[in-house]
Amino acid sequence: MYHYAKMGSRQKRLPILTLLLGTATFAFWMWLYPQDLSYQEQNQLFLFTGSYLFERLSLPGGLADWLSEFLVQFFYWRWAGALIMASMAMLLQRAVWRMGRTNYLVSFIPSLLLLIYMGDVEVLLSYPVALLLSVQLCPLFLHARWHRIWLIPLGWWLIGPMILLPILLSVMAMSSIKAKQRLVSRSASIFPASGRTYQSSVASKGLTELPILLWTAIVFFFGARLFASQYPLRDALFGLNYYRLVETLPALQWIIPAATLLCILACNLPVRYRHPALAGTMMALLLAVGTFFGVRATYDRDTHETLAYDWLIRHERYTDVLRRAEKYQPQNPVSACSVNFCLFTQGQLETRLTDFYQCGTQGLVLPSIRDNMSDITSAELLWMMGMPNITLQYAFDLQESIQNGRKSGRFMQKIAACNIVNGWYERAIRYLDILEHSLFYRKWARGQKALIQDEARVAADPVYAWIRNVRFQDDFITNYNTLDLMMAILYNQNKNNFMAAQYYEAWQRLKQMEDKE
Amino acid sequence: MKRWLPLLATLLLAAACTGSTQYSDALPVIYPDYIGVTVPAGIAPLNFNLPPDYDRVFVRVAGSNGGKLKTRGRWADFPIRAWHKLTAQNAGGTLTFTVLGRKDGRWTQFRNFVLYVSDTPLDDYGITYRKMAPGYTTYSRIGIYQRDIHTFHEEPIIESTLTPGQCMGCHTANATDPSQFMFHLRGKHGATLVQQDGRREWLTTKTDSTIGNVAYTYWHPDGRWFAGSINPVRQCFWTGDQRTIEVFDLASDVVVMDMEDHSLIVDPRFTTKDYLETSPAFSPDGKTLYFCKARAFEVPRYVDSIRYDLVCASFDAENGTLGDIETVIPASQAGKSVSFPRPSYDGRWLMYNLADFSVFPIDHKEADLWLMDLSTGETRPIDEVNSPFSESFHNWSSNSRWFLFSSRRDDGLYVQVYLASIDADGHCTKPFVLPQKNPWKYYHNTLYSFNVPDFTKAKVDFRTRGTYEAVFSDERIQATVK
Repeated sequence: MYHYAKMGSRQKRLPILTLLLGTATFAFWMWLYPQDLSYQEQNQLFLFTGSYLFERLSLPGGLADWLSEFLVQFFYWRWAGALIMASMAMLLQRAVWRMGRTNYLVSFIPSLLLLIYMGDVEVLLSYPVALLLSVQLCPLFLHARWHRIWLIPLGWWLIGPMILLPILLSVMAMSSIKAKQRLVSRSASIFPASGRTYQSSVASKGLTELPILLWTAIVFFFGARLFASQYPLRDALFGLNYYRLVETLPALQWIIPAATLLCILACNLPVRYRHPALAGTMMALLLAVGTFFGVRATYDRDTHETLAYDWLIRHERYTDVLRRAEKYQPQNPVSACSVNFCLFTQGQLETRLTDFYQCGTQGLVLPSIRDNMSDITSAELLWMMGMPNITLQYAFDLQESIQNGRKSGRFMQKIAACNIVNGWYERAIRYLDILEHSLFYRKWARGQKALIQDEARVAADPVYAWIRNVRFQDDFITNYNTLDLMMAILYNQNKNNFMAAQYYEAWQRLKQMEDKE
Repeated sequence: MKRWLPLLATLLLAAACTGSTQYSDALPVIYPDYIGVTVPAGIAPLNFNLPPDYDRVFVRVAGSNGGKLKTRGRWADFPIRAWHKLTAQNAGGTLTFTVLGRKDGRWTQFRNFVLYVSDTPLDDYGITYRKMAPGYTTYSRIGIYQRDIHTFHEEPIIESTLTPGQCMGCHTANATDPSQFMFHLRGKHGATLVQQDGRREWLTTKTDSTIGNVAYTYWHPDGRWFAGSINPVRQCFWTGDQRTIEVFDLASDVVVMDMEDHSLIVDPRFTTKDYLETSPAFSPDGKTLYFCKARAFEVPRYVDSIRYDLVCASFDAENGTLGDIETVIPASQAGKSVSFPRPSYDGRWLMYNLADFSVFPIDHKEADLWLMDLSTGETRPIDEVNSPFSESFHNWSSNSRWFLFSSRRDDGLYVQVYLASIDADGHCTKPFVLPQKNPWKYYHNTLYSFNVPDFTKAKVDFRTRGTYEAVFSDERIQATVK
C-alpha cells in the first residue's frame, strides 16, 4: 500500500515536473530547433473553409490531420509553435499519468519519445495529435461496453490507426480483470489501480476481447479497402497522414504507440522502492540522458542547420546565417547557396567567397531540384536578380514537391507575386483568393488584390517595379548551363543590377575553381 | 410545405418585378458564359454564378416547347431531375433564362438570354480526364478521373497516391469504349497498363530497337493493334512575360503494337533520326494511320523551328504493314505546326490543332482547333469555338456529333474542358464548359488542370485492388519487335 500512502505528497510535486517538461520542450523548440517549426508551417496551408475541412475528413485520420494543420499554421510565430509543442508534451504526459497514477516518471516517456521522433522533420503533427487523442480516449473505451461497436470505426475514421491504442488497452483491461476474477488473486491483475474504477463496467456486459479484436480488424481492413482505395493498403493501415513522405514507415511510428501502451500499463503497476527518492532521481536521470542521446541520434545536424539557414533567410537575418556558418557549415550545395546569398546581402560575396564551403557554381544558384527545400534560396535570389520566370518555376516545383500533396502559404505567395510581376492578374487572383482563406497570409493577399486593381500602383510598387525594370527585355529560352551569360545580359541591360554583376563574377570564380579541381 | 413553394417563388418574383426592381438592358454577366450555347438534352444542369457583389440570384427558365424551372439562392443551382425533364422536353428548341440578381439590397432584372437544346443526343456516360497542376516539372498529385456528364458525379479511376512516385500518362479508350483502354505510368516502376474486358496486362514497350516506352497511343478500331509514339519529353522555359514553358521531344518515333503477341512494328520510315514522328491516330475504318511529322532541329536552341506536317500512311490490319507516307496538310510550308489529329468516328471530319510551332499546343496561346472535311480535303479554323487563348487536346463523342476540347481561355493557365456540337455540314456551336455544381467555386478554387479529356461511352470499370502490388512488383510483359 506504500504507493497509495505516498500519493498525496507526490501529487503535489506532479505539476512542477510536468511544468518542467513543458518549459524544457518550449525552450527546445523556441531556441534550439525553431527552424523545424518553420519547415512544418511552410509545407502546409490551412484554410478556414468548409471544403478544406470536408477534404480532410474524407479520409481516415482526417480529424487529427485537420486539427494538426490548424495548430501548425500558428508555427508562423515560433513562440506560438513552441508553446503548442510544449502544451502537447504536457497534455500527453498528464493523459498517460491519469491512466494509472502509480509510476509517475514513466508517464514522461511517450512525450520524450515524441520529442526524439520529431527530429525527423517529415513527421507530421497529426501523429502526436492522434497519439494524444488516442490516450485521451482510453477512459472512454474502457467504459464503452457495447458502444465500442461504433466507437471503433468512428475513432478510426477521425484519428486513424492510432485508435488501436485505446482498443488494445481496453482488451487488456478486460483480460486482466477476468483473470483476476478467475484466480481471485490480486497480483494477477495488471490494473490494480484502475480495477476499482473499471472493473464493473469492463468485465460485465459488453463486447469481449475476441469480438473486439475481430471487429477492429474488419474495420481497419475493409475501411482501408473501401474508403482509402486510392492508397496502398499498407499506408492505409499504418496511417495516411502521420508522415509526409510516401512509401516510408519509420520504426518509431509504431514503436511510440506501443511504448505508450506499455507506459500506461506500467503506470498501473504497484511499485515499492526501498529508496524512492534515489529511484526517482535515477530514473529521471536515465530519462534525461536517454532523451539527450535520442535527440542527438535523430536530429541530423546538417539537415537542421540547412533548415536553420532557410528560416533565418526567410526572416532576413542574413548576418545570423554567416555567424552560424563561421562555426559550422554543412557540406552541401543548399547550404553553400544560402551562405553565398547572405554574403551578397552583406556586400561580402567578392571578399569572403572562399572563407566558406563551396561546391562549384551550383553552390551559387542551384539547378531545378525536385524537393520541397533545396531551391528556396535560389528562387529568392533569382527573383531579386530579375528572373521571375525561373523563380515561378522553382516556387511551383517546390510547392508541388511537398509529397503529401499539401500546398504552401510561403510558396504560393511567391507564385502569386511572380504572376503579378508578369501582369497575369487573373492567375494571381486565384492564388490570392486561396491565401485569403488563411490566417497569416490573408492580410498580404488582400493587399495584393487591392494593388492589382490599379496598374499604376503595381508599376509604383518598389519590388515589382524593380523586377520589371531589370528583367530580360527579350524573350528567349533559359538554360541553367548558361546562367552566367544570362546574368551578364541582365547587367548589360541595366547597370544598376549589381547583383547580376556580382553573381556573374562569383560564378566565374567558382567555375575556375571547379576547372582546377 | 412543398406545395406552397411555387406560390412563394411566384410571390418573390412578383415582388422582385415590382417596386424596387430595376431593369437592365444588358445581358447578365454570368460565370461560366452559357449565354447562347447549345447543349444536349440530359446534360448536367448548367448552374451559373453572378459576379460576387450579387448576393442572391433568382432565375426562371422557360422552354420553347413548354416546361418551366425556377431556382434561387447564392448561385443558380438547378435541380437535376427537373433540368433533365426540361431539356428533354425542349430538344431541338430553346430555353429562355430570366435572371434577377440582388446587389446592395436591390434587385436587378437583366435582359433575357437563350440557350439552345440540340436535337442531337449525347448518350455517352461521361468523360475521362487527367487532373494535374498546370505547371512545370513536378506534380504532387495527379490522377485519372471519370465524370458523369449527366450529373456532377466525379470519381477517380486511379490517383498517384496509389502508385507513389510514378507519373501518370494519358488514358486511352478504344473509340470511347471503356472495355478496352490503356494508360502509361512513367517513373522507376513505369509500365503501360492495357485492360481489355476486365483483363489486365502490364507491359514494357521499350525494346533494344526503340528509344523508349510508348507514350501517346491510339487504338485501331478492331482492337488488336494500337499505334503509339515514343517521346522523350523535355521542358524549357521562356524569359518573357507572354509565355512560360516550352515542351518538346528530344526525339520521337511512331510504332504500332500488336496486342495478340505483344510485338511492335518498328518501321524505319516511321522512326527516322532526322525527323520527328508523333501523335498517331487511326482512321475509323482502320485503313489509314495519321500522324505528325517534322524535321528535327537541335533543341532547345532551335525549338521554335520545329513545325509538324500532318501525314498519313495506309495500314493493313491483316498483316500489320504500313504503306508509304503521304502529306495531308503541309503546315510547315505555311510556317505552322499541326498536332493531335483526331478523325471523327463516322469518318467525316478530322480535327487537329494548329500552332506557330511545336507539337504541344497547350503552351501556345495562338494554338487553335481546325477542322478538315475528309470528303473534300478542305480545312478551316473552327472560329465558333476558338478563343484568343490556347485550345489543345480534343476528342469526339461516340456518335461523332459532339466534341470536347481543352482550353485555357478562363484565365490563361488553368485548363478546362469545353463541349460543342457539330452538324452534318460541319457547323459548330458555341461551346460550354463542363458544368459544375457551383462553377465559380469549383473552377476558381481548383489548382488542377483538366488534361487529355475524352468521352467514355460507359463507366470505366477499374478496380484499384492489386494495382499497387502489380506496379511495384515490376513484373511486366516485355514487348518484342516483329
